[in-house]
Amino acid sequence: MPKRLKLNDISKADDRQLTGLDINEIIPLPPPYDQSNKPGFKKLTEDQKERLVSNLDGFVGLALPRPKKAEEEKKYIGQFVAGLKKLLSKENNWTFLQPLLLSLDYCERCQTCNENCHIYLASGKNDLYRPTYRSEIFRRLVNKYKKSGGRWLSTLDGNDIELNWSTVSRLYELAYRCNLCRRCAQACPMSVDNALITREIRKLFSQELGWAPKELHENGTVLQLNVGSPTGLRPNVVKDNMAFLEEEFSEATGRTIKTPWDKEGAEVLIIHSAGDILSFPESVIAFGILCDAAGIDWTLASEIPGYDGVNYGLFYDDIQLARIATRHAQIAKKLKVKKIVIGECGHEHKALMTVADRLLTGDLNIPRESAMTFLENIVFSGKIKFDPSKNDFPVTLHDPCNIVRNLGIVEPQRHILRYLCPQFREMTPHGVDNYCCGGGGGLSVMNNVNFTDWKVNISGRMKFKQVLEAFADQPGPEIKKYVCAPCLNCKLQFRDIFEHYGAREKSGIIVGGLAELIVNAMVDIKKPFIAFND
Amino acid sequence: MELAGNMYEVDEHGFLQETAKWNEEIARAYAVKEGVNELTADHWTAINYLRNYYLQNGICPMIRRLIKDTGFTLKKLYDLFPNGPAHSACKWAGVPKPTGCV
Repeated sequence: MPKRLKLNDISKADDRQLTGLDINEIIPLPPPYDQSNKPGFKKLTEDQKERLVSNLDGFVGLALPRPKKAEEEKKYIGQFVAGLKKLLSKENNWTFLQPLLLSLDYCERCQTCNENCHIYLASGKNDLYRPTYRSEIFRRLVNKYKKSGGRWLSTLDGNDIELNWSTVSRLYELAYRCNLCRRCAQACPMSVDNALITREIRKLFSQELGWAPKELHENGTVLQLNVGSPTGLRPNVVKDNMAFLEEEFSEATGRTIKTPWDKEGAEVLIIHSAGDILSFPESVIAFGILCDAAGIDWTLASEIPGYDGVNYGLFYDDIQLARIATRHAQIAKKLKVKKIVIGECGHEHKALMTVADRLLTGDLNIPRESAMTFLENIVFSGKIKFDPSKNDFPVTLHDPCNIVRNLGIVEPQRHILRYLCPQFREMTPHGVDNYCCGGGGGLSVMNNVNFTDWKVNISGRMKFKQVLEAFADQPGPEIKKYVCAPCLNCKLQFRDIFEHYGAREKSGIIVGGLAELIVNAMVDIKKPFIAFND
Repeated sequence: MELAGNMYEVDEHGFLQETAKWNEEIARAYAVKEGVNELTADHWTAINYLRNYYLQNGICPMIRRLIKDTGFTLKKLYDLFPNGPAHSACKWAGVPKPTGCV
């Protein structure tokens, strides 16, 4: 299948797959994973190819049903153009119009961004995954439809991208082959933000055509606003689950662990990513232990959606983004807390600490602090005694893009790890130059059809390579190793990657957050808090 | 997808979409597809626990709860259900996999 593509291949009307990935052409992994070429990628079934739009790269994340009539296709094309015009108007896109226009106007086509994209590199440099491929196609459509005379002019200078059903449907799926990590934006000499362009494309599809991944919309933001969390956790169930965990962990640690719920006037409202309660309970319990040990006046909120800090709207839709961010702040205001601490969730940081800035004004402008500095203050407060030798195993740090590159919160977590983990080592590159885990931009929770396969093989590839290289001094499974990833979406992506490759069995690698690693070093907790053999 | 002689709506991973239509025959049919030809009492303990928890709480129980309340270790659960509690047991019990960040 071709790796070199032309821009107008996107509109090839035969509706067949544009390109594909060969497991032997993507970048190799270090041993023993260089031998993991069987069975290759999970192929689409004939039935799936018939029912679903699958005209991009052999992977399907969105499960768009193939339209039955030509009128349907025409309708969508019309909606796309209408959406395009709205995206470029101040009234409709007051949120992101300026950076979008700057990114559309100032690209010099130098292609520097591509060399910095973990997806493009991992794929063996398949043109489809160049940040510029998607952006330039969109740019030409913008120029065609926004400028008067644009449609006519575009055919003259050979820049024409035909807008047909194939273009629209491929662009939709292609918008979900980007982790919105902004490594391209950071590398760009002009600060063109291809991630922003991608995200605005997603917004166009969602707000105008009503197209969005079920995991992000129906079972994501909509479910969260209805019942409290995309996990489906309702307030009574979350409190019940926390009570269960408190009992379990109180027994295991010999401490009384109790979560204060809805405490008015508390200093701190912690908003976790609720999925941690179900999948990484040590994390939320660890926060409770640390707050109590450091004498912090804290609380959780049980009002919908105050116990779940995720905001998938950030990835695809301004309306949902605004609704959820506002609700979070309103709940904090109602509880009269002094500040909100954002738990170990990357995009929660970005949503609540910057993007929602213009929404959270007046008395909704409650101070928000990252868990990174919050935990750093606790660790170095002198209030808790630590014994770093309890963490004497290889540890490396994954930098969640939304916390580190996007917000510049780089040092606090390293300050903690250098103190509490004698065998802490950095990945290469790290900090703001890190590679995305491959689950960013909402992709972490998208697992429809064979999309997981794309994530663990392609978007997560550079990261997996980095992890293995960071532990290359002691690669065997008998040495247990910890990837510290202070973001739930990242942890889930790591979990999927490690499961796919058998990394726990072959290399002894597990993933977890920061808070539990801190608790594991507490002198007062006798038994190890982190379990390597679950 | 056909299960136990009838057609049912399933998602792309074969999970039943309308949980109310579940019956024990469906559980058996799913099990056979994964190479388990007979469901023992232990299987039903886990399946019924999952189903009841889901119907009561709107989500699947966390693994720790499943382990504690059934008395089965994780290893035992993987012995009973080839693809594990999340992928196999939930499917056979006709309850959806959890959504969101889990």
